[in-house]
Amino acid sequence: MTRLRLLVFLATAPGAALAAQGNAVLLGSVQDTLGQPLRGTVRVVGSGLAAVADGRGRYRLDVPPGRVTVRIGHFGYRSVEDTVTLAAGDSVARDYRLAAVAVELQPTIVTAAKRSQLLDQATTSVALVSDTDLARRGVETVDEAVNRAPGVLFLNGQVNIRGSSGFVQGLGSRVLLLVDGVPANQGDRGGIDWDMVPLGEVERVEVVKGAGSSLYGSSAFGGVVNLITRDISVGWHARVRATAGAYANPPSDVWKFRNNTGGLGGLDVTGSYGTETLRGSLTLGGRHSDGYREQDRSDQWETAGKAEWLPRPGTRLVASGAWTSHQYEVFPTWCVPGACDTRGQAFQPFMIDNSGLGSYTRSNKGYLAATFDRTVSARFAWQARGSWLRSHFTDYNPDDWSVSDRLGAELRGVLHVAGGDDRVVTVGAEGAHTDVTSDIFGDRRQAEVGMYGEAEQRVGRLRATAGMRLDHFAVDGGPQATVLSPRIGAALPTAVGTWRASAGRGFRAPTLAERYVTTRAFGFEVIPHPDLDPETAWSFELGNGAPIATWGRLDAALFWTEARRLLEPTFVLDSGVQKIQIRNISRARLRGLDASLAVSSLVRGLTSSIAYLLVDARDLTTNSVLSFRPRHVLTLGSDYQWRTISVGAEFRYTSRIERIELEPVFGRDPRVAAKVLDLRAGWQRGPLSARLLVTNALNYIYNLVPRTLEPVRTVSVVLRWTY
Amino acid sequence: MIAPMRSRVACAALVAALACNAGLEPTTACQGICGTVTYQGHLPDSLRDSTAAVLIVAFATFPQTPGDLLRFAPSVAFVDTGGPPRRYVLQVPNGTYEWVVAVWEKKSSTPLGPQNADSLLREVGFYRDAGDTTAHGTGRARVTGAGADSINFVIDFTNMHRICDYFPPCPQ
Repeated sequence: MTRLRLLVFLATAPGAALAAQGNAVLLGSVQDTLGQPLRGTVRVVGSGLAAVADGRGRYRLDVPPGRVTVRIGHFGYRSVEDTVTLAAGDSVARDYRLAAVAVELQPTIVTAAKRSQLLDQATTSVALVSDTDLARRGVETVDEAVNRAPGVLFLNGQVNIRGSSGFVQGLGSRVLLLVDGVPANQGDRGGIDWDMVPLGEVERVEVVKGAGSSLYGSSAFGGVVNLITRDISVGWHARVRATAGAYANPPSDVWKFRNNTGGLGGLDVTGSYGTETLRGSLTLGGRHSDGYREQDRSDQWETAGKAEWLPRPGTRLVASGAWTSHQYEVFPTWCVPGACDTRGQAFQPFMIDNSGLGSYTRSNKGYLAATFDRTVSARFAWQARGSWLRSHFTDYNPDDWSVSDRLGAELRGVLHVAGGDDRVVTVGAEGAHTDVTSDIFGDRRQAEVGMYGEAEQRVGRLRATAGMRLDHFAVDGGPQATVLSPRIGAALPTAVGTWRASAGRGFRAPTLAERYVTTRAFGFEVIPHPDLDPETAWSFELGNGAPIATWGRLDAALFWTEARRLLEPTFVLDSGVQKIQIRNISRARLRGLDASLAVSSLVRGLTSSIAYLLVDARDLTTNSVLSFRPRHVLTLGSDYQWRTISVGAEFRYTSRIERIELEPVFGRDPRVAAKVLDLRAGWQRGPLSARLLVTNALNYIYNLVPRTLEPVRTVSVVLRWTY
Repeated sequence: MIAPMRSRVACAALVAALACNAGLEPTTACQGICGTVTYQGHLPDSLRDSTAAVLIVAFATFPQTPGDLLRFAPSVAFVDTGGPPRRYVLQVPNGTYEWVVAVWEKKSSTPLGPQNADSLLREVGFYRDAGDTTAHGTGRARVTGAGADSINFVIDFTNMHRICDYFPPCPQ
């Protein structure tokens, strides 16, 4: 009798506890149509409540009592919706089976509107890089992963979205980097440290194209890249990723610069443990590369951690951070006659200018962030976050250094006025303080505050949005600036796909480096210009995303950007001497077409994609082509999966860059179109996977920015074990 | 129907990919005047068999008389009659050169001289500098110790000029 009472108590205790709390539980499993478990997401529509299934596909979600609609999704599978009525204390089991689709028709995104929404509801173009894409490409760094996204092109580490940034020798970025929504551009130079977050931590990447300053403020001039890190599953989990590879030798003997073949390798180990309320993960890793050019070795150590506390349904506190220490030799520019022994050649792309011999950089960078999310009800949720970002570089030959600390905070509320998605209002305030100490930028401080609001209203099938943000900057020793960034947009689902249109203003405040840099570059003195103004742009877009029967999806957008007061390095006469200075000189127009087609299901196991970017970029000040904007970028990709084996290829064509900056220095250098073919093969069985990658398989020798050779053919093997 | 189309597409993609490997290549340093000529139009079939050479020469000063045409700097670069862009090098002494010109030369059993130059030579292109507003719109190549590189221009076989076009009248 006593044992029976105990059993009854154990069986009813959870329900009794839930009843006391006034909640209900939805639990069960998420599987594919073959019964294989999926780490699917179970999300209550119209609220922030969500749970991620564990490695066995099991999920458990505490929900408020009443009638709730849940959406179950997993990238690469068609989402399903289910409506369940639960009473307080109920514990209802629901198992879901998702059908695989090579193209996810309704992925959920979080960046375009600073809140969760379906991709088709976004009024601007968004490109996604999924965890499947990341695994398939087997790349080593985040920038390699983002580089092949439609509309994106990297120029020597500087990200361009639809030709936004060009290349400004590492000073400033017209794209804002977020890590889980936290701004992560450098405090001093405004650039992006793509090595700050280990790639293994990244679950997916969202690339929002076009001006995003109405929500994100400065730097979101041409777009936003949001790295979304992995959620931590319940239980013990581990992940080990090992890489080894080799660089091709120069294709011509006259370019040979060493007697051995350069290699690369790396190891990342992640461990995590989670309960229903407390979860944590830690990653440690390191990598070495001999480089593919002279004086190109690098060593990197990295660590990243994340902790989550979920004290009750709808409440989540996440603390995360990462730290990377990167020592790398610097390849300033390749060698030309007079700068080294060129062996009678006009240029030596694998060898460096002798003046840069011995140059190397130690770059330490990291961040700490804490985010508190609270879903008060189906109507209202709010989030508060604080962050600290540090970058510290020390250059040797020339000896320069800079330490920047950027403290940031944001408070945001999202109101679903009628409890659903028909009318949503997002408001927030954001502030940051940057402190820079440097021998070339001086001791500088910058404070910035911004307030924003955006409303979305559904009228019939049309979703219309309108919002704006007001930013104010104060820089010691320089002028203050206030910038207003409005945006309107609309999304309309029709029989021929979802049309989207938007018009918005973007801006970028000059970085402390651009205002105050004092150094030498390319033999010229670089002088400061404290009175720089923010550069601004109006960005317009008309796009359509449409499924094609059951086998593909076409997305195309026409874009038009009118930019003013662009910051560009230029030659100036100072006391009769030619010097370089950053100035607000250019008016520019960037317009074009950004289109992509994803194809699947025509042949079982085969997926293919085509992406094309046409950019007509004009410098309206000089009535010439805008520098560092290739006119055509074409990317073709195809992957075939047969049981546990996969093979794939990707080809990217980038047309010859017609114009570069600092023409008097580099104008006569050779430039060619870039034609890069990557090949890959993979094998996966249970927790083990192996991938063979051959990047730049044709060993095509090219450069995108002056006197800087792009990577040669690299063969690498990536082994991964997941528990 | 779909399968052959797919194989054709795959074939075309493979050919396109393999044809791509024409990136940066070793390039001899410039000592003198160097550059790349690109071709526009085709050499008329009627002239193909009678072609002796297509050559590039440089003049320190723009020729003032037909006789000056044979007093070019002591270096000649021979290039093809068509095809992909072709790099040339004129190993000339340091100095300024007012006219870098490509010349089509006809086969002849008699030596080239002022008396038969008009019938044997055709100007088929020369270096122009859009910023140079001097006569003929030509560009000056200034050769220093590092050479004068990127003296690029177009050879246009559909627009060949006789010597008498420069020094009229032309004989009927």
